[in-house]
Amino acid sequence: MSKVFVPSKNLLATFSRALRHGNPQPISAQCQRLSTITTPGLPRTAPQPSCLHSTPKTGVRTFSTSPQRKYKTVQEQRSRYRSGPFSWKAGLLFLISGAGLIFYFRYEKARMERKRVAEATKGVGRPKVGGPFELVDQNGKPFTDGDMKGKYSLVYFGFSHCPDICPEELDKMARMIDLVRASAPSSAPPLLPIFITCDPARDTPAVLATYLSEFHPDIIGLTGTWEQIKQVCKKYRVYFSTPEGVKPGQDYLVDHSIYFYLMDPEGDFVEAIGRQHSPEQAASIIKSHMGDWKGK
Amino acid sequence: MGLFGLSKEASPPAPKISSDGTPIAPDRSQRARCWEARDAYFVCLDKNGIIDSISEKDKAAKTCAAEGRGFEANCASSWVTYFKKRRVMEYQRNQTLERLKAEGAQEMPGQLGPGGQQRS
Repeated sequence: MSKVFVPSKNLLATFSRALRHGNPQPISAQCQRLSTITTPGLPRTAPQPSCLHSTPKTGVRTFSTSPQRKYKTVQEQRSRYRSGPFSWKAGLLFLISGAGLIFYFRYEKARMERKRVAEATKGVGRPKVGGPFELVDQNGKPFTDGDMKGKYSLVYFGFSHCPDICPEELDKMARMIDLVRASAPSSAPPLLPIFITCDPARDTPAVLATYLSEFHPDIIGLTGTWEQIKQVCKKYRVYFSTPEGVKPGQDYLVDHSIYFYLMDPEGDFVEAIGRQHSPEQAASIIKSHMGDWKGK
Repeated sequence: MGLFGLSKEASPPAPKISSDGTPIAPDRSQRARCWEARDAYFVCLDKNGIIDSISEKDKAAKTCAAEGRGFEANCASSWVTYFKKRRVMEYQRNQTLERLKAEGAQEMPGQLGPGGQQRS
């Protein structure tokens, strides 16, 4: 709409000549044509004299103050009118941008699906799994949630006097660790396997050190006071039924949830891996999440 | 110590003591021995048609006395109770599944909860 409507020279000449001689006949056709350009809604049957009469005496000025149009000539306007707003250029542009968008959306969809799982627990108003804690590792050194930052952590809750499920799951965990370490992308954050006992009375650091060394040397075993363990179980939504104040020699079992919790380098819960996953499946889940990590 | 409290020798050997004086949980070989003894005991129960060896403990003690002693000698008593209860639970679960299957229930993809495919 930047171009000013400039009538062609001979049209102006005809117009001014007609004004000078007071002869409406030669311009009537042009006048009608112009009126359809400037006011497309005007009925074509409008009486020709009114066209002339409505034109002020200074005809040239009228044209220069008329609404701005983008066509230089009537012919150009007409051809554009016939083809409509579409042209092969517009069509091509449409197809290219359309194809580009489809490609982009397909690429994003797979990534977003994993992201959706990973971020289901991020943000406000979401169930929070995990959180700050202060425990002791199997060497007696303090270990907090801060030590998990910057690494993908695989957290498992159990106890060393567990009859059958925990040992099986820990064997699985050892296999997962080796599988992930063998083929994880080099840029990904490292994997930190953690075992948190639900039975702090019997699982002292020394007991955990002996117990875990049977499975994988890299698993970090965490224990603490009954109250500390109760709090960390609560934060991880782990069912905790250990009686308080049991004596070390006592024989009892502890009920607990048996999921692996995958936590991202910011300490947020990513996904739970259960007994239905084989070590290979679990390792590939972990690896694909690690591959997504961009570092924030 | 043992579940039946019948004999002194029917209890696992005293656990090893860790460096800080706390008993260490059974290690891999001890667990394997316990599971072996458990399986032997359950085979005997199967042969004699006993499902719940806790409620039918007199019958079980009579027919599978040797296996029962071996079981208790290799597993902590809490484990013995746990495995016996679990056997009943798994039996009931399988019965329910079979009943549902007979009624024409459709199997859903996925797996049963904890312990779903433990020994089945």
